[in-house]
Amino acid sequence: MKDYKILFTGSVCSGKTTAIRSLSDIETLDTDASASDVTVRRKKNTTIAMDYGVLELTSDARVHLYGTPGQERFRFMWEMLACEFAHDAIGMVLMVDNTRKDPFRDIRFYAKEFSDYLLKRRLIIAVTHSDVEPSPDYQEYLSALKNLGIMTTVMFIDARDPRAVLGIVEELISAVERNIDWDSVCDRLLDNNGFTLDFYKPLYEETLLDAAMNKRGVLGAMHLGDEQEILCSNIDDKPTKNLMRNIDRLTDAISDKAGFLGKVNNVVLAGPDVQTLSVFNDKSQSLCLCSDRDISLPVLKQQASDLLQWSIENDYLA
Amino acid sequence: MKELLGKVDEPGIIDCSCLLKGKDVIVSSFSKSKRNHETIAKQTFSYLFLNVAKQKTKHDEAHLEIGEQRLSGFLLKPGLVLVCLSDKNLNITKVRSHIQHIKHLILQSEVDKMLA
Repeated sequence: MKDYKILFTGSVCSGKTTAIRSLSDIETLDTDASASDVTVRRKKNTTIAMDYGVLELTSDARVHLYGTPGQERFRFMWEMLACEFAHDAIGMVLMVDNTRKDPFRDIRFYAKEFSDYLLKRRLIIAVTHSDVEPSPDYQEYLSALKNLGIMTTVMFIDARDPRAVLGIVEELISAVERNIDWDSVCDRLLDNNGFTLDFYKPLYEETLLDAAMNKRGVLGAMHLGDEQEILCSNIDDKPTKNLMRNIDRLTDAISDKAGFLGKVNNVVLAGPDVQTLSVFNDKSQSLCLCSDRDISLPVLKQQASDLLQWSIENDYLA
Repeated sequence: MKELLGKVDEPGIIDCSCLLKGKDVIVSSFSKSKRNHETIAKQTFSYLFLNVAKQKTKHDEAHLEIGEQRLSGFLLKPGLVLVCLSDKNLNITKVRSHIQHIKHLILQSEVDKMLA
């Protein structure tokens, strides 16, 4: 029996679990837990350890499919998968969610994270959710990748569709395994796993503020545009709102005058018996949070970063 | 006062520090290479605590993450701010508890100076 391995990675909600589920001949191993943080804005469950499935190609060849957790806090699992379980994988599939605020930022991030891993194997970029957000399109991906110096295959897929995901496997395996009847594998998958649009239904109903408020310790949130205009807010206290807008104005001024010192990432105001006020900057937008004094800054930073990544340009989804 | 800043600066916690009175730096351990950070801290914390006073809130510490560093400002009393520069990944609680030890020494020194 020849055993091949493929590693799937990518951001939260990019479709890794769904892709593996679409392909697997066995009941997939999902290590999903209820999403207790901002991830809930997109889906109810999130992978916390790994996904695993097996696809039979012929009577003597099969592919083991491994999926990393999307959230950066489970980075230790990325390393474990790359160095242990899937250290001998034939290729890596980077799933890119096209609804993300900056999908190319995800590519840069994961290409860097897995740079050593990719020295010895092929990378395929699988773009998902392009039915919801068609831009950037195929040509834009090709030119962005060229600029990044990444020569690879880009495929636009629907992770729910076994035919589409099987195309990735074929792309990786057909060079080394020539006697596979891909059509019959595809028919079997469609018979067994099916393909319905309800298979994976993203939850877009919750707003940025809902997602922020879902985090333990967050008591209020305000989303500001690049001119400090309030895009949405559930903070009622006017002095607090004014204070946060002034802080945001200040960070813009510092970035203008002292950009050579680096990016102003955040400003936090704290004190005894008062809520902690934080302003997180990301290019042309900021997220202001009122939180319980006891909540730690690293936790807040993680949440704010996840929220800002796909807020302003996807608000029409809310 | 310079000796007190020596107690504030602690390898692995606080790289350097200064004391602001109003908009002026009255004593500092910022090196020449970190002078830009000191200038940013001066403008930032005087602006922030002025706003805090205007809005009548009780915030007495502020942290600004810039590049790989973090500037922290602790309001010791109205108009007097202790500024510390540390690594942005250092736990804020560490900085905060370190400053708590030093805070009363600085205030005592201020009182002594007034009485002298």
